[in-house]
Amino acid sequence: MNGLKMDFLSSDALRSKSSIEKVSMIVDRVKGGDLVIIEGGLTPEEGAELIETTMREIDIENFVGIDIYTLEKSKRSLFGMSKKTVGLTIIGPANLMKTVKKKSNFLSMIADTGDSSASMH
Amino acid sequence: MHNIFRRFLNRLLGKKNKLKIGLYGHPNSGKTTLANTMTGDWLGKPLGLVSEIPHETRKVYRQEKVSIKHNGVELDFDIIDTPGIATKIDYKNFLQYGLSEAEAKERAKEATKGIIEAIKWLDDVTGVLLVVDATKDPLTQANITIIGNLEARKIPFVIVANKIDIPESSPERISSVFPQHAVVPISALHGENTEELYDAMVRKFK
Repeated sequence: MNGLKMDFLSSDALRSKSSIEKVSMIVDRVKGGDLVIIEGGLTPEEGAELIETTMREIDIENFVGIDIYTLEKSKRSLFGMSKKTVGLTIIGPANLMKTVKKKSNFLSMIADTGDSSASMH
Repeated sequence: MHNIFRRFLNRLLGKKNKLKIGLYGHPNSGKTTLANTMTGDWLGKPLGLVSEIPHETRKVYRQEKVSIKHNGVELDFDIIDTPGIATKIDYKNFLQYGLSEAEAKERAKEATKGIIEAIKWLDDVTGVLLVVDATKDPLTQANITIIGNLEARKIPFVIVANKIDIPESSPERISSVFPQHAVVPISALHGENTEELYDAMVRKFK
């Protein structure tokens, strides 16, 4: 049976990891065909590291890279100003993820798993 | 930390850092076309090859000693034209441009190395022109990652909203997505509004 494995990781679970550990863990899982959903976002340096590591891991035939989507949330700062922060980061294999619709607070996606397809909202 | 130390040492020795302006952005956003327009305007010769096939630039190209003279101010710099940054490369996408399977696979392999090289150059550039295709959605992971890294490293940059000669282009969309940054709409292909870009470069990088 073709299925889609989704791994949800809380920010607490990632806090103890170094940037390199975090990126390696994401790329290993995504290369294995999993969808990784992280609470919060990556730092800009981790984002660059993620692209770099992905490029090293691309093997042309089986792993063509990643797709990344984020959902933002508003956060009140100390002086009552509203600031956007990343609430969720969704990372998956590029050949699997097909975005259907993305708005600022809504993401609807279909993952192509070969024989069957899974949808996620 | 290494960069900060180097800058401190250079300042101590009275040596000014050489201005190296990197052209960053997605594949096919028009970086090399812009580099060619700039070197054509100021040196009288093009820098690199352009084509409609994505990832035409797969190595970093450098043009030293470009000098812009604008409104009595002179800006001397090196242009660093980098390969387009993407999160995925599927060789099958190149087949539609008439490449053989072997050529497409080779191009994909070279493109992955080019992206790594482009990211590494972020450690060395002293200013950036982020070239964004104004006909496409600017809010992509590659653009967000590039801007985030430039902000974190305190590298000054100008966002270039390219391809305004195409009717469906929308430089306003880029300004609305990145309101805190300078956005200059141009057509690198036709040299349209490049004077405004040179003006922005002199103001930002001098």
